[in-house]
Amino acid sequence: MFDLEKEIRKWKKSFQKYEVSEDGLVADIELHLRDAYNAQRQEGLREEEAFLRAVAQVGTAESIAAEYNKNRIVRLNRRSPLRPGRFMPALVWNYIKTALRAIRRQKGYSLINVSGLAIGLAVCMLIILWVVDEWSFDRFNTKANRIFRVYRDESATQKNSTSVLTPPPMAAALKSDFPEIVKATRFGYWHRQLVTYKDKRFNEPGFRHADPDFFAMFSFPLVKGNPETIFSNPYSVILTEKTAAKYFGEEDPIGKILTVNNSFDVTVTGVIHNESLNSSLEFDLLSPFEILLKESIGEDNADNWGFNSFGTYVMLEPSASAENLNQKLAGYLKKYAEEDTDELVLQPLTDIHLFSNLGHDLHNRGDIKYVWIFSALAVFVLLIACVNFMNLTTARSANRAREVGLRKVVGAGRPQLIRQFFGESILMALFALVIALFLLEFLLPLFNTLSGKQLTSAWRNNPALLLGFIGLSILTGISSGIYPTLFLSSFQPIRILKGTMSPSGANPLFRKALVVFQFSLSVFLIIGTLMISRQLSYMRNIDLGFNREHIIHLSIHGELHEKYGAIRERFLQNPDVLHVTASMSLPTNIQGSPGTPMWEGRPPEAKMEIKADFVDYDYIETFEIPLVEGRSFSREYSTDAETAFIVNEEAVRRMGLEKPAVGKRFGFWSIDGQIIGVMKDAHFQPLHQKIDPLVFKMFPGWLRRMYVKIRSNNVSATLASMRKAWDEMNLGYPFEYRFLDEDFHNLYNNEARLGKIFQSFAALAVFIACLGLFGLASFFAEQRTKEIGIRKVLGSSTAGIVALLNQEFLKCIAAANLVAWPIAYFVLRAWLQKFAYRTDIAIWIFLLSAALGLAVALLTVSLQTLRAARASPADSLKYE
Amino acid sequence: MAASTRPIILAILSRGKDYGYSIIQKVKDTSGGHLEWTDGMLYPVLQRMEMDGLIQSQWKLSRENRPRRYYTITEKGCKELASELVSWWNIWQALTRLSAPIPVED
Repeated sequence: MFDLEKEIRKWKKSFQKYEVSEDGLVADIELHLRDAYNAQRQEGLREEEAFLRAVAQVGTAESIAAEYNKNRIVRLNRRSPLRPGRFMPALVWNYIKTALRAIRRQKGYSLINVSGLAIGLAVCMLIILWVVDEWSFDRFNTKANRIFRVYRDESATQKNSTSVLTPPPMAAALKSDFPEIVKATRFGYWHRQLVTYKDKRFNEPGFRHADPDFFAMFSFPLVKGNPETIFSNPYSVILTEKTAAKYFGEEDPIGKILTVNNSFDVTVTGVIHNESLNSSLEFDLLSPFEILLKESIGEDNADNWGFNSFGTYVMLEPSASAENLNQKLAGYLKKYAEEDTDELVLQPLTDIHLFSNLGHDLHNRGDIKYVWIFSALAVFVLLIACVNFMNLTTARSANRAREVGLRKVVGAGRPQLIRQFFGESILMALFALVIALFLLEFLLPLFNTLSGKQLTSAWRNNPALLLGFIGLSILTGISSGIYPTLFLSSFQPIRILKGTMSPSGANPLFRKALVVFQFSLSVFLIIGTLMISRQLSYMRNIDLGFNREHIIHLSIHGELHEKYGAIRERFLQNPDVLHVTASMSLPTNIQGSPGTPMWEGRPPEAKMEIKADFVDYDYIETFEIPLVEGRSFSREYSTDAETAFIVNEEAVRRMGLEKPAVGKRFGFWSIDGQIIGVMKDAHFQPLHQKIDPLVFKMFPGWLRRMYVKIRSNNVSATLASMRKAWDEMNLGYPFEYRFLDEDFHNLYNNEARLGKIFQSFAALAVFIACLGLFGLASFFAEQRTKEIGIRKVLGSSTAGIVALLNQEFLKCIAAANLVAWPIAYFVLRAWLQKFAYRTDIAIWIFLLSAALGLAVALLTVSLQTLRAARASPADSLKYE
Repeated sequence: MAASTRPIILAILSRGKDYGYSIIQKVKDTSGGHLEWTDGMLYPVLQRMEMDGLIQSQWKLSRENRPRRYYTITEKGCKELASELVSWWNIWQALTRLSAPIPVED
């Protein structure tokens, strides 16, 4: 008996083994089969026969399934694979939530990360502010790119010698000789001037003189006064706001009369604003240059081409090229001063502050080298903070591994995870930025004392700087997040979720390398700090070859010049005053004098560069300079003031004079005389320089500084009685003095500042590195809790466990020293080359730095390991 | 599967909706009853054409009260048919041009 339904069920079963034959598709074919069966039946076939025919007509399950399978493959290929959107807004809240949760769950680590980054960012921002400030010098001048300073290249007579000092007639001559020079001004000063207004009198070292073109060239904003007529009267003066307030308070300064040096009057014609401007031209009072000629150096010097004492600035036409002009300037000086072999060179105004290292320039110029050093140190500190972030985040990755696994399982691609983790690290960095901005406010005053700058919070109103800061923190976030992100996003979900992977397995070598990197930077900075302070104390305590103690010095200018003799006599009446003398320049840095002296038996071509100073009687005695031959200047020899020279041993050596040198003929500055004494070599220049030949000559007209040697006891009483004597003499000048040893001390302010900077950066670097170490140590202690418990149960001592845990870190620190030492050695050796007199690079400095680094690291790590080692094993082993 | 199957199905459906068995009978009729393949193998072709968006299907009860999947041609299908006709026409023309002219005698 044929059962159609049963046969159809059997037939349908043959489709079941093919996965493509879904119910719907089989139903289609079943219907077809039934239709075909009915059609066969209608043709008159028996049931069984009809069914077999229908089945044959439909075909085998195998062939039909094969056709369907082709469709399936087409569909699979055609369907775009499940790809999450580039950015899924729905997930943002989830990202924020997970980020905050991660921060909340690991408060300690997040604190370390954020505070480290904040400190690093704050330091970087400080340095940025400082660099921006250094860079801004002279750029407030709207025509800055057309203004140049003219300096002398003296290399024809003295190697590598330059001078910014030029003669008075040069500015006008240049302007008339070169059509491309449209404006030119002299800028200079002679002495400090005594300025009096009613009962107010001040010595003004910032009294400067310039030509009327000055105002057409530079963009100092005039607060009061008419720019057209400001210098039309030669006896006029303009003041800075600060100076105006000093003399006149609230009164209107315009039209007021100031008395200069008790001898002539000037009228205030303007007030200038220069407070907030970074200018390489510094002044408190500015008068026409003519006054200087008339009152100080004599009008006949107006066209003296040998009187090299002033600065000259020129402004070119907008289209003119400085290079062309520089070429045209070759040999220019010969036109006016035949013997002058120096060349004139144009220096861009904007180069003066950072790129200038010219002779006779102001000492407080910036230095591009310091810009680099500062920037590099700041980047180092930030890098150390970034390393903390990398290390702690990867070390803690176990906590995020499951999250990564799950996200991947539900469809997150690696790019999405990368974006998520970058987002997190940027979020952290932005968070750090907020803290860093507060830190910045707090650190600014400290930094100002360190750098000698007057940086203000003006950055708050500077959108470019603010954007820069945000950019910096995003960059920091990216660079510190790059390793953790790539590491975390590379997890394979199957291994994580199965639990076969221990995710603390961030490459331990890499982590160690990072720690080594951090600590080598720290050790390097410590070594640098120690070495700089060693060189500094060496320079400050070296025996200079003369005595600088208990000597005060005063400036003698204006009328004081004529009264010098009387003041001297008066001071000497005090039994506590031992000597009084005077000279032209301070003994801290006696300058070279151009030209070669004449001496007995000098070969015609022989040349000798020589430092020179003009001195008074008793100079040798005041400074206790030892003489190896001959005698000091003496009043008993009438010729001493005219033709006597005292030279040092180096000069004798260089001249090749046979002993005795005393009595040999010697001439300089067209004065023919003889050597009356030979001094022992002494350091009259900073220790960067070797002791050069030196000559002293008496020259009463050129004395600018008076020195008073006082007894070492009762210094304040002596000073008080000197002040009294000064006042009684009614000199009309305030009693202003300085201690000479301070000046010597200040000679090395640059080095001292560098030392302080290194010290601060070293402290910061060590601190941040230790923060990171602390985090790592606590993580590893935590990870090994069970191991520690078992060890303790088996009888390990606390000390033993601490040693075990510390071991790994100590190895890193030791390696860091190995890296840092050679680098420090070469860098410091290069630095020491700047000094002609220098200390050696002592091995103990390296050992001490290593010990310091090790001690700090050990202390940091032990805080954690000790706690772990002390924990009762019962607690750690109770579970499981 | 012959290249002509798809245009033929489209052409059939362009005359109105139809169901599988009926379509296949018409295909068989047009190809003169000679098919190298079995009826069942047309169903994957219909599925494929539906995947490609040329036809649509819907289950409905027929007049005999049987459930049937009715296929209708889509707009895309109409366009496809038109372009198929053009290319078949082109092929036909090319073939006639290449072959020797055959006198029409009937």
